[in-house]
Formats: sequence, structure tokens, C-alpha cells
Amino acid sequence: MRDRQRIGTVIQGSLLEGLTAKLEPSASVESMRVGNFVVIEGQKKQFFSLITDVALGATNEQVLLDPPAGADDFANAVLAGTSTFGTVKIAPMLMLDAEPSLEDQGLRPVKTVPSHFSPVYEADEDDFLRVFQEDTVSGVERVGKKKFFEIGKPLNMEVPVCMDLERFVERSNGIFGKSGTGKSFLARLMLSGIIKSRAAVNLVFDMHSEYGWETQSEETGHFVKGLRQLFGPQVLSYTLDPESARNRNVQPDGVVVIGLNQIQVEDVALLQEELNLTSTAVESSYLLVDRYRDRWLQQLLNMDAETLRDFARESGAHPEAMAALKRKLDMIGRLGFVKEHVDDSVIDEIVRSIESGRHVILEFGQYNNPREYILVANIITRRIHDLYRQKTERYQQTKKPEDRPRQLMITIEEAHKFLNPVAARQTIFGTIAREMRKYFVTLLVIDQRPSGIDTEVLSQIGTKITALLNDEKDIEAVFTGVGGGGRLKALLAALDPRQQALVLGYAVPMPVEVRTRTYDEAFYRAMGHRERDEQRREAEKARTELFGE
Amino acid sequence: MTHDLSPLGRVLRSSTTEFVVGCQDLARVPTFGSFVKVQAHDGVWVYGAAYNVLIDDDPFVRQIIGNPHIPREVALDQKENRQTPIEVEVLVLGYARDGLVHQYLPPQPPATLSDVYPCTASEVTAFTGQLSYLRTILFTPQIPADELLAANVREAYLRRGGDREFLVEAGREAARLLKDEYDRLKAILSRIRPSLFRSSTPEPARRRGVT
Ligand SMILES: Nc1ncnc2c1ncn2[C@@H]1O[C@H](COP(=O)(O)OP(=O)(O)OP(=O)(O)O)[C@@H](O)[C@H]1O
Ligand SMILES: [Mg+2]
Repeated sequence: MRDRQRIGTVIQGSLLEGLTAKLEPSASVESMRVGNFVVIEGQKKQFFSLITDVALGATNEQVLLDPPAGADDFANAVLAGTSTFGTVKIAPMLMLDAEPSLEDQGLRPVKTVPSHFSPVYEADEDDFLRVFQEDTVSGVERVGKKKFFEIGKPLNMEVPVCMDLERFVERSNGIFGKSGTGKSFLARLMLSGIIKSRAAVNLVFDMHSEYGWETQSEETGHFVKGLRQLFGPQVLSYTLDPESARNRNVQPDGVVVIGLNQIQVEDVALLQEELNLTSTAVESSYLLVDRYRDRWLQQLLNMDAETLRDFARESGAHPEAMAALKRKLDMIGRLGFVKEHVDDSVIDEIVRSIESGRHVILEFGQYNNPREYILVANIITRRIHDLYRQKTERYQQTKKPEDRPRQLMITIEEAHKFLNPVAARQTIFGTIAREMRKYFVTLLVIDQRPSGIDTEVLSQIGTKITALLNDEKDIEAVFTGVGGGGRLKALLAALDPRQQALVLGYAVPMPVEVRTRTYDEAFYRAMGHRERDEQRREAEKARTELFGE
Repeated sequence: MTHDLSPLGRVLRSSTTEFVVGCQDLARVPTFGSFVKVQAHDGVWVYGAAYNVLIDDDPFVRQIIGNPHIPREVALDQKENRQTPIEVEVLVLGYARDGLVHQYLPPQPPATLSDVYPCTASEVTAFTGQLSYLRTILFTPQIPADELLAANVREAYLRRGGDREFLVEAGREAARLLKDEYDRLKAILSRIRPSLFRSSTPEPARRRGVT
């Protein structure tokens, strides 16, 4: 038998509500932490579970009315575990047959509860390894080698907690947390893992220009490397703002310009809130499209007051609304990266890179506000969406492996701007979040206000990596669509404000709290990155090994 | 701790749940709460705790009790060499057979005139390795149960060499037994708390006093 620390005994509970265990007198309530991983040894099964609440109990009201005097350690020691006791609420997550049998199904979701008085143990390293490395959740057939990635370590142990990256990229995912809790660092880690393992190709809409090149760490003040630096030419860095790139001394692989001809009414509709447009104004843009096709915006921006009035009269548009539309869209024409007419070549170049398996990071430079971000992300993604649809349809006809589109993951920040209940119904991102899984495209949404995201979209999110959240609504939102999620709520608010996260969903066998892996030199090396002189030394070593001195 | 293995008296009356020891010498009367043992039949040693001492009068005492000047020798004689025995009532707590302790009633009570011995420290330690006997003390009617339990636990604590963990465990057992009687529990805990033993050495009281 292993010497796991016994912490308590199951006394009651249900599958729906979770279990209650009475703590051993020797187990201090204060060392029980919400989120701790515990194992219940039932008669026939082991239950891998999480502590979801900690409480104090007393067998007798009298004790509470007349507690022993403060300094009476003896009375306290006697009463602890007898008249007064700690209890923990436990949510069982996975079960495993205690006696391996022929029809052993490995770890699987819980369907029952352990019997009365089953002992509860603190999980040890073997338990963690068993659950987070040998992923054996039934019902998943897999070919070839699985792609596991260490996202971090448990709070109180030195063993890796791994995610299954292939499962991760199969669905849309979310990284949530208050400002400054490490969302961008988590995204860097996940993106690195995906690039390294080739689980998917990435397109990152990099609002704050932080993923491609160096950025400063708030905590240490050191600079950390960007993905373009870590992975070299496998990652291409595009920018909307070549000047900002020049100022930072980075050499972009391409510059993105957007033509007025590429902007559609849908893009403008998405900006309704940002530009404070009325819906009548948005409606009237369709009248422009009817007449001018893809030159509608260019035409509108060039109209003077008189032509505008004439157009309104001829087309039956509301003149005030037309004028307002023009006034508000003028801002688009003035953006540095917008030209009158642009062919699709840059966007197509990006698409071709993605098709060939190279990752693309698009930096926004000075255009780091939601208006520009939404506009550009939507235009580019629409093009990719069309393409992936076609590719998937072809693949469905031919069924040839070489026609299978490459799994693509699109990373967006401030996701609630694209995926709020109104926008989610109109934009391409809403469509992707809801259905594009079938078309090999998924999203990685990064947001500090998950409650702003449409609930239907939230419930489609496969894996959630969540740092600290305080707001009740945001916490609620994270657990949308998670069976029994309500029980886990206390976990989120109990996380440390930095470098701790709760991982739950499709890519992990059960929810788990981690100390997030540190993004530093050791990580770069694990991703295969070598500094120049080191590369030279290794090459030299290889040469001498081959050819002698 | 001295191991005094000569008998302290003999069984005067006995039943399954208790027996009475007749002692001759007041100095050798077991103290309140202390452990004694007596052999019942082959290999069965009945264990009990002394809970009451009765010093009866005799016709001679009646005669001289009113006398203003009782000679010292007479008073001394009353302590050490009595006509009527001192009666010590003992509550049966369990028994041991072949070195195994059982904390429930023995199959047979001890016969009258069997020798009764005080328990040695190692016997006390072995017997108090389990604590379910505390239940017998607490729930026997018509004895000063709470006082007896406290005295017995204090005695065991000392004979075990001052083992604080034992006091806590005994307290816990009492807490489990008295889960609906917090006031009783509190009174007991205040009578067995470790701080009682710190200031004064209870050794003389244990050897001499008849509570
Ligand atoms: N895994 C990590 N490795 C190293 N440092 C980290 C890690 N996670 C967080 N940090 C530290 O925490 C700081 C804040 O992290 P980060 O910038 O990722 O937060 P954020 O949630 O993206 O904030 P914002 O909402 O402002 O974008 C970092 O600058 C860094 O110092
Ligand atoms: Mg950030």
C-alpha cells in the first residue's frame, strides 16, 4: 500500500450534489484548500476528485454556544474531530476500477458514488501522473503518438500537468482572467506548444504586438522572447503599422493593407457599437452596395453633401441617416493601413502561408484599439472562412488525406467585442465558434470579461484556461455549459493573482489547478530554441563527431 | 514507580459487574480510580477500578467513640490492624487472558477470598491501550461516574509516564461518548487537563489519600 495521507471519510452525498467527507482529527481544516485533488478509495473503484468547499461542523449546538476558553489547547485538541470537526465537499470527476480487469475501461467519467465511509486521501504524484499523463478517457480512438504539453504543475507538487493538444485544437478554447493575471503568457505557452507539436497552424490577431517579438515582463522587467524569435521562419510576422515595427527594430515579414473595396457592410455592422451607428444607418449601406458593389464605401466617402442628398433621394434612403453614416465612416478612410483599392494579394499571401503550415502573427502596432482590431480581424477571417469551407467540401468529396485541410486556430483578444450576444450572431467569429469545428477552424479567445461573451458561444468552448476572476458574472460565465460547474466556482476566486490557473474541459481528463509553467529560458530550450553561439557549438560538435577533429 | 505485587486484600463479595475487596491496612487501600486485578479462573484476570471505600465501625469503636482521651495506640491500631475489614468497591472494566485485553465483562466473577493485586505500570499501559472501557465507567448508574473517569484517566496518565497524547485521546473518547452532554464533558475535561499535573507532584496523594 502507498502511504498517501488519509484526510477523511465519506459520510454522505450524491452524484449531482457532490460528496461530503468528515475530516480526520489529524487533518487540519486549514490545510484543506478548495481545488485540492483528492482520491477516494471506494470498495470497487477509485474516484479522482476535487475539493470544492471546506466547512466547520459541530455535533452539538452547545459547543458552539459555549466554546472552550481561547487558550485551552487541550480542550481544543480534544474537541477537534469529535464534537467539532471539519468537513469538505468533494466533487468526484473520474473513476477507475480498483482491480484492473479484462474489460477495464481505464479512467472514465463518474457514474456513481463511493460507498459510505470510504477513505479519502490526498492525491500523490502517482495519481497526478496517472490522470494527467496517461490520458485514457474512454471513447477516444487515436492514431499515432499523442501530443501532450505540460501547462504547469499542481499547486503543491512537482509533477507535470499535461494537456492533450490534439484534443485542444479540435474545439474553440478560451483563456480568461482579470487584467495582469497572465493571459498573454498563457497564450504564449499554448501557442508555443501547438507550434512545437504541429497540432495546428495558428493565426494570431496580436492587438498589443506582444506575441511575435520581444516584450517586457511586468514582474521581472526582463524581456521575453516572441514566437517569431523562438520558432524562426515557421512563424511569419505581419504588421499593419510598419513604422511601429521599425521603431522597435523588428523586421516584419509583410505589411498588411486593407482596401475600401474589401470592407463589407457586415464589417461595418460589427462596428455599430464602437462607432455609435444607428441600425437605420447600417441598413442604408445596403442601398450603396446595391448601386456601387464593392466600391460602395469608396463612393460614400467621396460624396459631398449634395451628391449624398441626391443619392438619398434616388435610392429612398433616409438622408439624415446617410449623412451620419458618412460622417462616422470617414474615420475608416483616414486609417493609415487603408487604401482606396487593394487586391487580395496580401491576404491571399497570408492564406497561402497558413495552407503551407506556417503560422502568422498580425501585429496592430499603433492601431491597438477595438475599432481597427475588429475591422481587420473580421475582413481577414472572412476570407479564410470561405477558403476553409471550400477546402472542407472538397475533402468531403474526395476523402483523400492530402485534401484534408490543416487544422487552424485563430487567436483573438478582447473576444467579447466579437462574440457578444449581438455580434456573435452577425460576425464570422460567431459562425466559427458555433460551427467551424467541422471545417477545421477553431478559435482561441482571450478575454478578461467572459461574461460579455454570448452564452451559446461559451458553451461551445472546449477547453478553458482560467486565471483569477473576481466578478460573479464572469465566474458564472466560465462555467457555462460545464456539467456540475457551479460546484467549482469557489476555485476560481481562490487562485493566486499571478501564474495560477484552473484548466478544465475537453483537453484535460478533469479540472485541475496549476502553477503555470514559467515562460523563460528553460522553456525556450524545451521548445527547441538555441541561441546563435550555442547553435554554432552544437553544429561544431556534430561535425567533430562525424568527421573527427 | 514501585511494583508492589503482594496482594492488597481479598475478595469479600463479587458479582459480574463489580466486586468488593476487604483490606486490613488503610495504607494499602487502593486509591480512588486506581486499577486492581484479581484472578477469576484459569488464566482470566479481571481488571477493575476502585471507586468507593467503606470504613465500617465495629462494636469496639462504638464503645470508645465517646471517650475524650483515646490512646494513640488504639487509634493507630484502627488504621493498621482492624477487626472489621475496610471495604473497597471495585467496578469491573474488563479482563485479560493470555496477554490479550478485553474491555467487556468477564465470563465469570472472581471467587471470594481470591487475592486482589494492584496493577503494575506495564499492566496499566497495556490495559489502557484501548479506551472503550471508559464507556463502562460513564454509563454505570449510581457511582460518581464523572469523578471516577477523571481520577482513572489521571492515574493512567501518570502510570504511563505522563503521556499527553493519552490525555487527548481519553478526552476524545469522552467527547464521543458525551456528544449530547457538553456540560458533563467540559467538567471532565477540566479534571484531566495536562496543566493540573504541572505545578504540584501528585505522587503522595496517589499513594496515601483516600478520596
Ligand atoms: N507563465 C508566466 N511566466 C512568466 N511570467 C508570467 C507568467 N504568467 C504571468 N507572468 C507575469 O505576470 C505579468 C502579467 O501577465 P500578462 O501580461 O500575461 O497578463 P494579462 O492577463 O495578459 O494582462 P492584460 O489583461 O493586461 O493583458 C507578466 O508581465 C509576467 O511578469
Ligand atoms: Mg494580455
